Amino acid sequence: MKKIILWLAAITLIAGYAVAADLSYYEVYKPKAGMTVDEIMQIKYFNKYTLFAHDYESTGDVIFIEKDGSKRNRRFLRQRIMLGRSSDDVSYKDLVMFTQPTSVKGLATLTWNYMKATRDQDVWLWLPSLRKIRKVSAGQADDSFMGGDLTVEEITSRRFTDETYKLAGEEKFKGYTSVYDGKVYHQGEPCYVIECYPKRKPWYYSKRVAYISKNFGGNMLDEIYDANGKFVRTLFRGWVIMNVNGKDYAAQNRVEAYDLRTGHKTVMLFDEIKFDQGLSEDIFTQKTLMRQRW
Amino acid sequence: MHFKPKIVLALILVSLFSVSVSQAALEIDRGPIYGLLRKALPFKNLEFAGYLKNETALRISGGFDEFMKEANIAQLETEYKFNDNIQFFSILRWFYDSVFDLENKYDRDPKWESKTNKKVKYPEKLQWLRECYVDVLTERLDLRLGKQQVVWGTADGVRILDIVNPLDYREWTLKDYIDTRIPLWMFNAEGKLLMNGQLQLLLIPDYEPNYYAPSGAPFTLRTVRLGAEAAEKVTTATIDQKPAHDFEHTKIGLRWRNIIEGHAFEYTLNYLHTYDFASSYYLRQPNATANTRRAEQIDVFGGTFSKTITEGVIVPGLAKGWTLRGEFAFIKGGAMNYGKSGAIIPGLGIDGSISGTVDVDQYNYVLGFDKSFFTNWQFSFQFIQMWALNKEKFNKSLYTLLNGATRGPLDKQETILSLMLATDFMHERLKPQILILYGDDNDWRISPKVSYEISDQWLATAGVHIFEGKEIYLNGGQFDKNDQVFLELKYTF
Repeated sequence: MKKIILWLAAITLIAGYAVAADLSYYEVYKPKAGMTVDEIMQIKYFNKYTLFAHDYESTGDVIFIEKDGSKRNRRFLRQRIMLGRSSDDVSYKDLVMFTQPTSVKGLATLTWNYMKATRDQDVWLWLPSLRKIRKVSAGQADDSFMGGDLTVEEITSRRFTDETYKLAGEEKFKGYTSVYDGKVYHQGEPCYVIECYPKRKPWYYSKRVAYISKNFGGNMLDEIYDANGKFVRTLFRGWVIMNVNGKDYAAQNRVEAYDLRTGHKTVMLFDEIKFDQGLSEDIFTQKTLMRQRW
Repeated sequence: MHFKPKIVLALILVSLFSVSVSQAALEIDRGPIYGLLRKALPFKNLEFAGYLKNETALRISGGFDEFMKEANIAQLETEYKFNDNIQFFSILRWFYDSVFDLENKYDRDPKWESKTNKKVKYPEKLQWLRECYVDVLTERLDLRLGKQQVVWGTADGVRILDIVNPLDYREWTLKDYIDTRIPLWMFNAEGKLLMNGQLQLLLIPDYEPNYYAPSGAPFTLRTVRLGAEAAEKVTTATIDQKPAHDFEHTKIGLRWRNIIEGHAFEYTLNYLHTYDFASSYYLRQPNATANTRRAEQIDVFGGTFSKTITEGVIVPGLAKGWTLRGEFAFIKGGAMNYGKSGAIIPGLGIDGSISGTVDVDQYNYVLGFDKSFFTNWQFSFQFIQMWALNKEKFNKSLYTLLNGATRGPLDKQETILSLMLATDFMHERLKPQILILYGDDNDWRISPKVSYEISDQWLATAGVHIFEGKEIYLNGGQFDKNDQVFLELKYTF
């Protein structure tokens, strides 16, 4: 029995690190002709979590839009440091602090994300209204992220190893009309159309069709099908290319999720995006959480 | 004039409904109060926030026709940043609970005037300055100087290490501790010694006793009621011997907090040299009702830990997603009364159970287990034990240690279980939650509630507190007749 347990542990370790080792931190990767669908998706995930940069900062808004058009808003500051440190397995550390409205002001989370694919995040939650830091379990992957029309795994925890992939074709992106401002984004962008199937079954979705930019490897649109195969939701990501110290970084500047069943929409807008400012790892500690007074 | 609670309740519900209709279309907005304050105080480095809140509670056994609370609260929080390193923060809170005006059965006992009893009678006049401090923030050292509350520990709903500040028991422990801790003036320094390792030093010259509701209030502790029956001019806030506000009687706290990287195992080691915020009751002479009350000097040694299982225990995936947490405190130097619970003083007809006082060491701990299930159901279970070991002898065949809050018998070991379930619907606008507390003397508290976020600024909460058990027991029994339904409406700006 003991040998079996050790074998299981060893296989998990090897599998976990093998994925992380494929791409090097702080390098910029773009899809190239002839790449396999797995290679394209690895770049997609690399870009999603900004592993090409040393650090990242942005402010932003999360806007919940009801079917009748009424809105609720959350304003936040986000900071991230990419470490890729095998000594303690830390991939990156993330800090999100809410700044408005008053009812959530000061609420902050510190998240440590690990290189090992099988390892969950460690999350600390600062509750200024209670003056208390709570160690919390990482959200269930299929839970709604902040109550919006996106799931936790779509924003924070989905990894390359969670799905299998099939290249369905290549095309020029038809464009996405924003549910927030009505503008059309990324029209004509050359892209791969990739079908993604979750390994976990049963799961809240049976398939998603992802449109991945050929130019910068960013995932522009997901068309999501529920467990019964019905098309139920869209998830759009808008991108800008930022030249930082001579490198082209692909940065998300908006996320829009639209639930076709309920008509509810969630929009995330990112402003003041900054890379490689030299943020210190010292910022990503409980001390920073506790400095949020309200 | 006596307002009919049912009418008030109906008005609140109507206003809630109208607010939900009229405010539902609001975008993020600080509202007119913030706008007025901003105009009146147009200082660039000054930021403020706050809320207006109504809290209403009705006694269930009174056919919902008796108020237990009708409180209106206004809170203003201000922050002034001199620069990134020096900042001032304050919280002012005004509140008034008109239950004593609305219901003839309640009384702001005691009726005589003195400095101590003014606090008992008019807490709203003396607790308006909630917090007031200056922060000096540097890379290595953070200083917080002023009136503040310090929170130690990881437990929910019980205080094991969270005993740096005294507590306002006006509504027992139904409210969040953030609203019931009594802030103290203190020096609070936290230095960074490791990346995630900080050493905290507290120097606390200030002292306030716990606040207990007077004997005529809705949530009077049983011990207060019995005390008032025995000696009218004594309440548990009356302390004859309490520490002076000077250097010699300064309380000292030390806490080492660290996270072991790689394992994300978080722990603290705590030490607190302080005075008990509850008075210990001493008989001046055997078999006499005359007494003296003393704030005991105590030393607290303790620690906490928390760890989320991110990979699995032994086998990959086993117990993954559970967060385990614990908290322990050894309290040395405290004192407790002993006596016969239910004993009647001849001639007076009152419960005169206290026969003496002994030194007691206490060992308290909590183990917590948290996890999310079924997508978005949060589950939190706590196992709590409190051990009281008398260091001085008394005749245990005749007497037992007494619970300080109820004067009921205190077992050598008391066990409490707590369970909290919470979830959300409607994109986190509707949040139901239930808290269940069970004491091993078969006393209960069950508190379901639901909150609804009407808009970015308006929050409505409704719930029930149900108490069950014998009067002499702590967690629910002593308030067995206090089952209540409550409504809260909060506007933040």
